[in-house]
Amino acid sequence: MISRRNFGKYSLGAGAATLWLPQGMALAQDGTRPTLTIAVDNLWANINTINGISTTTRRFFPNIYSHLVERDYIADEQGLALVPGLATEWSREGTVWTLKLREGVKFHNGETMTAEDVAFTLGPERLWGESPFEPRGKTFTAGFVRVEAIDDLTVEIETAREDPYIPGKLTGYIGFVVPKAAYLEMGVDAFGQAPIGTGPYRVTLFRSGEVLEMEAFDDYWGGTPPAEKLIWRIVPEFAGRMAGLVSGEFDFIANIPTDQEAQLASYDEVIVARALAGNYPAFAFNTRPDPEDNPLVDVNLRKAMVQAIDMDAIVQALFGETTFHPPVPFNFPEYGDFYDPDMVNPLPYDPEAARALVEASGYDGQVLRWHITRQFYPNYEAAAEIMVEQWRQIGVNVQAVILDNFELVYTRPYHLMNMSMSTDFIPGDPYQPLWLDWGPTASRSTAHWKTWDPTPEYLAAGKEFEEAVEFEDRKAAYLKLSQAWQDVTPGYYLWKSVYNWAHRADIEFVPRPDGEMRMFGDYMALPA
Amino acid sequence: MTRFWLIKLLRTIITLWFVVTFAFIVLRTSGDPVVALLGADAMPDEIEHFRELWGLDRSLFAQYISYIGQMATGQFGNSLRDSRPVMDIILERLPATAQLGLAAFLIAAVIGIPAGIVAALRRGRLTDRIVMVFAVFGFALPNFFLGILLILLFSLYLQILPSSGTGTFLHLLMPSITLATFTAGTLARFTRSAMLEVLEKPYMRAAAARGVPFWQRVLFHALPNAAIPIVTVIGLNLGQLVAGAIVIESVFAWPGIGRLLVVAVSQRDLAVVQGLVLVIAVTMVLANLIVDLLYGLLDPRIREGAK
Repeated sequence: MISRRNFGKYSLGAGAATLWLPQGMALAQDGTRPTLTIAVDNLWANINTINGISTTTRRFFPNIYSHLVERDYIADEQGLALVPGLATEWSREGTVWTLKLREGVKFHNGETMTAEDVAFTLGPERLWGESPFEPRGKTFTAGFVRVEAIDDLTVEIETAREDPYIPGKLTGYIGFVVPKAAYLEMGVDAFGQAPIGTGPYRVTLFRSGEVLEMEAFDDYWGGTPPAEKLIWRIVPEFAGRMAGLVSGEFDFIANIPTDQEAQLASYDEVIVARALAGNYPAFAFNTRPDPEDNPLVDVNLRKAMVQAIDMDAIVQALFGETTFHPPVPFNFPEYGDFYDPDMVNPLPYDPEAARALVEASGYDGQVLRWHITRQFYPNYEAAAEIMVEQWRQIGVNVQAVILDNFELVYTRPYHLMNMSMSTDFIPGDPYQPLWLDWGPTASRSTAHWKTWDPTPEYLAAGKEFEEAVEFEDRKAAYLKLSQAWQDVTPGYYLWKSVYNWAHRADIEFVPRPDGEMRMFGDYMALPA
Repeated sequence: MTRFWLIKLLRTIITLWFVVTFAFIVLRTSGDPVVALLGADAMPDEIEHFRELWGLDRSLFAQYISYIGQMATGQFGNSLRDSRPVMDIILERLPATAQLGLAAFLIAAVIGIPAGIVAALRRGRLTDRIVMVFAVFGFALPNFFLGILLILLFSLYLQILPSSGTGTFLHLLMPSITLATFTAGTLARFTRSAMLEVLEKPYMRAAAARGVPFWQRVLFHALPNAAIPIVTVIGLNLGQLVAGAIVIESVFAWPGIGRLLVVAVSQRDLAVVQGLVLVIAVTMVLANLIVDLLYGLLDPRIREGAK
C-alpha cells in the first residue's frame, strides 16, 4: 500500500519529503525523546485548577500540576490508597491537619515551592474567602477556617469540625498547587492562559479552541519526563481522530463513540483503552410543584418510574459487559468500607409493582417532559428511548426533549432532566455525591432550576453525618442519610461511565478512572 | 459620482449596523452566556460574580449602547472565554481561513469555469452531460459528508494525506477541495448557461464569418460577454466560502475563524461572536463592492452609465 512516507518520496524526492511531512512526525524523529500528539475532542477556556474544572482539563492537568496527595491506581484499581505527592506526610490532631511538604520542588518558573504557596493554593484569598479568585473553590473547601504556613515546609489546615477526609479531598482539584507570587502577579485570568505548576511538563502554547503544547520540565520532582513535547490538538470530528491515529499522525486519541470502539480496535497498530470512570450519569425527577400540576410531586409516581426501568438489560444492550448499573443509590464501590455489595435493592425492576404505584399516585396520563442535553453522556439518548418505552408499558407518558445545552435543559417547565452529575468521589467516603451534591448548599437544591427541597429528615441525617468522625458513627449516619434520600427518590443513577482512549500499539498506557492521561511515571511507557 | 459613492457608503453603514444589532439581539436573548461559559455545575455566587465582572448585570439597553460604541470605535474588548483581546484572537485565525478560502476559490474557478465553457460548447453531447452530472453532484453533496469520505479514503485507507490540522501543503488539499466542490459545481452551471446565451448572439456569428479562429472567438468574444453573470455568482459564492468554512474547519480541525465562530457561539462568548460577525459582514460588503467595480471594468456600458 502507498503510505504517507513513500508517497512523499515518490512525489517529491527524499530530500524534499521532510518539508512536506506534518510537523509532529518530523519532530518525533529529531530528538532523543519523542513528541507525542494527542487528538482530543475539546480543550477548555482556561487552565486554572478550579475555574478550569472540566472533564477535558482533567485529562491533562496532572501533566502540568502535581497533587499534594495522590491516589494510587496502580496498586488499587479503585484508587483508595493514598500516597505522597507534594505532601510527604499528613497527620490530624482534632480539627487541625498538618501537612509536611516535599523539599526542593521546583515550579516551572524556577521558583522553589514553599508552604506559603500551598497555604495560598488552599487559602481564602483564592478559594473560600469573601470574594475569592476562583469562587467554585468554596464547594471543595466547605468547613475550612484556617490555612497557614507554619514554616517553609509545614502547612496547617483547620476545619470547623473534625474532618478525617482532608487528605482524600487533597487528591482532587484543590490539591493542585500553584505558585503564589506568579499567580498574584499575573492575575487569575492570565494565569489560566499561561499556567505554572510543578508537574512534569511546562505549558509553552495554549490556544483554547485549538491546541495546547507542553515541553518536558526536567527539574520535575518525580524524575525526567519520558516525552520531549506533548501536543494536545483539538480534532472535533471522530473520523479525523481515528484516521490520524491509524495513519500515525497521532499517538493518542480521546473520547471514542461506543459504537466505533470495535472498528478502531480492529487495526493492528492501535490499542483501545477503557476505564470505568468515577462518575454515574443520572436523571433527576422534578419533585417540586413547578409547574403547578406536576404529577411527580407524588413519590409513588417517582418510585413507580424507577421500578419500571430494567436498567441491567439496558446497560447490557448498550455497553455489553463494559460497565454496570448501581442497583441501590449511594451504594457505590468508590465508598470503600462504606460499600456493601449485598445491600438489597428496595426498588427492583418490577412492572407489576410499578403499575400499582402509578395507580396509587392518581396519575392521569399527562405528558412528562424529560429535558436531556444532547450528546453529553455516551448512549444517554439511546437509553432514554428505551426508558420512555418501558414507562409507556406502565402507563406513564414521557416525552424525551433533546436540547443543545444545559441552559436550555434548565429552562422550565420540565418534569425530568439530566444534570451534569459529575459524581466526583472523595476516596472511601460517601460525603460526595450523597451530601455535597444533594445537600442544602448544592445547586440541585438552591439554583433557579432546583429539582428538590431537602427534607428535614435528610438535613438532620446530614448534620449527623457531617459531625461523625468515627467510622461506625459515620456509617450509621450515612445509611440514615441515604435512606432519607431514597424516601424522596429525587433522582436515579444509571450506570458507571466509561472513559475510553486509543493509542499506538507500541506505547504502554495505564488508563485511570478519573480520566487523567498521565504521560509520565508508571502510567505510560514509550518504546525504547 | 460623489453622490453615487455616498449612497453606497451609507448603505454599507446601515447594513453593518443592522448586522451587529441583529447579532446582539440574538445572542442576548437566546441564553445566559455566564451559564454557558461556566458550565452546568456553577454555583449561584459564581454566576453572579462573573455576570458583574463582564457587565452583564446592566440593563440590555445600557449593554447595547456600550456595545455599539465599541463596534464604532473598533474596540472589540476581551473574550469572555479566555480574557484575551478579541481582535488578537480573530487576527490569529484569519490567515488560516483566508488561505483555505483562497485555495478553494482558485480550485473552484480553475475547474468550474473551464468545465462550464466546455459543457456549453458541447451542448447536448456526452461531455455536456458528464460535466453537468458532476456539477449537480458538486453542489448537492453536503460538504461535511464529502469531507469525512475524503478523510476515510486518503487518511485512513490510503494514508497519503494528513487527516486534520494545518502546517504543510498536504494539510491544505482535502479541506480546500471539499470547500471548492460546491462553488465549482455552481460556477460550471452558471458559466454554461451564460456562455450558451452569448454563443447565440449575432456578433459571434459575425466573428465566425470574419474567419476569427474558434478558441479566439470563445476566449475573446464569448467569455468577456458572459463574464457579468459569472462574476456575480463568484461574488455570491464568496459568502458561501465563509459559510462553508464553518463546517469544513470543524471537520478538518482547521484553525480558522469558522471554527472559532462555532466554539464562540456554542459557549456564548459574546465579545468574540460580535467581533466575528462584524469582520464577516465587512468582508461580504467589500466583496460586493469589488463585484460592483468589476462590472464597470468588464462592461463599458455600465462604466459610461455611471458617468
